[in-house]
Amino acid sequence: MVAHGTIAFDTLTTSDQVNTGTEKSLDTSYIFNGVLKAWLNLDGTGTIGISDSFNTASVTDNGTGSYAKTLSNAMSNSLYATGGGHNANSSFDANGRVLPSSTTSVVMYAQANGASVDASIVTALVSGDLA
Amino acid sequence: MIETPEFQGTHLWERLCWAKEKLEPYRSEYCVVWEDPNDMENPAKVTHPDPNWMACALQGGILPPVQSYWELKKDENKPDFVKHTRGPELLHNMKPIDAMTEEEAIEYLIMKDIPEHVWRDWDKSNKPKMVICKKDQLPGTREWRNAWQISEDLVINNEVAA
Repeated sequence: MVAHGTIAFDTLTTSDQVNTGTEKSLDTSYIFNGVLKAWLNLDGTGTIGISDSFNTASVTDNGTGSYAKTLSNAMSNSLYATGGGHNANSSFDANGRVLPSSTTSVVMYAQANGASVDASIVTALVSGDLA
Repeated sequence: MIETPEFQGTHLWERLCWAKEKLEPYRSEYCVVWEDPNDMENPAKVTHPDPNWMACALQGGILPPVQSYWELKKDENKPDFVKHTRGPELLHNMKPIDAMTEEEAIEYLIMKDIPEHVWRDWDKSNKPKMVICKKDQLPGTREWRNAWQISEDLVINNEVAA
């Protein structure tokens, strides 16, 4: 069905003649379920600033190298997956953690050489099921 | 100004996709400094509104009422919580709120993202637990970031803390 610029379909199918010649099908809901649900690129130095983002309502500066990001569209539960990193101190001891805190909140920590640090690039990715 | 489509019944995430594509991010000069009385060992926290979220708030017709988030939080705090089941009712099918002013948007964000025990009684102790301020009123460097506190000398009047 094509109407008002919207194409509605339940399944994507390809003959894949170029590569394998084997037809492949994909339920479109799989695509939605698999895409990132939120992301953030943050400057954690000075007065912290959100460089760009999606599905982010606010960022809280909790102290040196410690931040929290909240979501506009909550996740279904807190068992979602997160990822991210930071650019402070390019040594092998640099360590960043991004973890679910609640269905609407993610915490982010930037560390280097065993200590919390402020980084000019802190990123967070959120993947999972939306509420 | 671009007109917001009728979004009631549209998944909130889809509305955010629309907003990301159509709206210019709005960088507020305001932030919220707050202290959690249940977490006094840590420094004051500073909450900054997201520019894309601010654009949605100022545009109107996109975000659900803040009470939807309170209800989600209540559900999540129940001992038998497994997953949200009221997302459609509270986020996607609820009538979106109208356009807010920047001040109203900051107030909404406070009630959404800062613990209720902080904002509900923000001025009921020896010093304010929360202050809305401009970013240029924050310390210029982060050298002593983990020692930041709200000043006890803060003067509060009926509308603003300055």
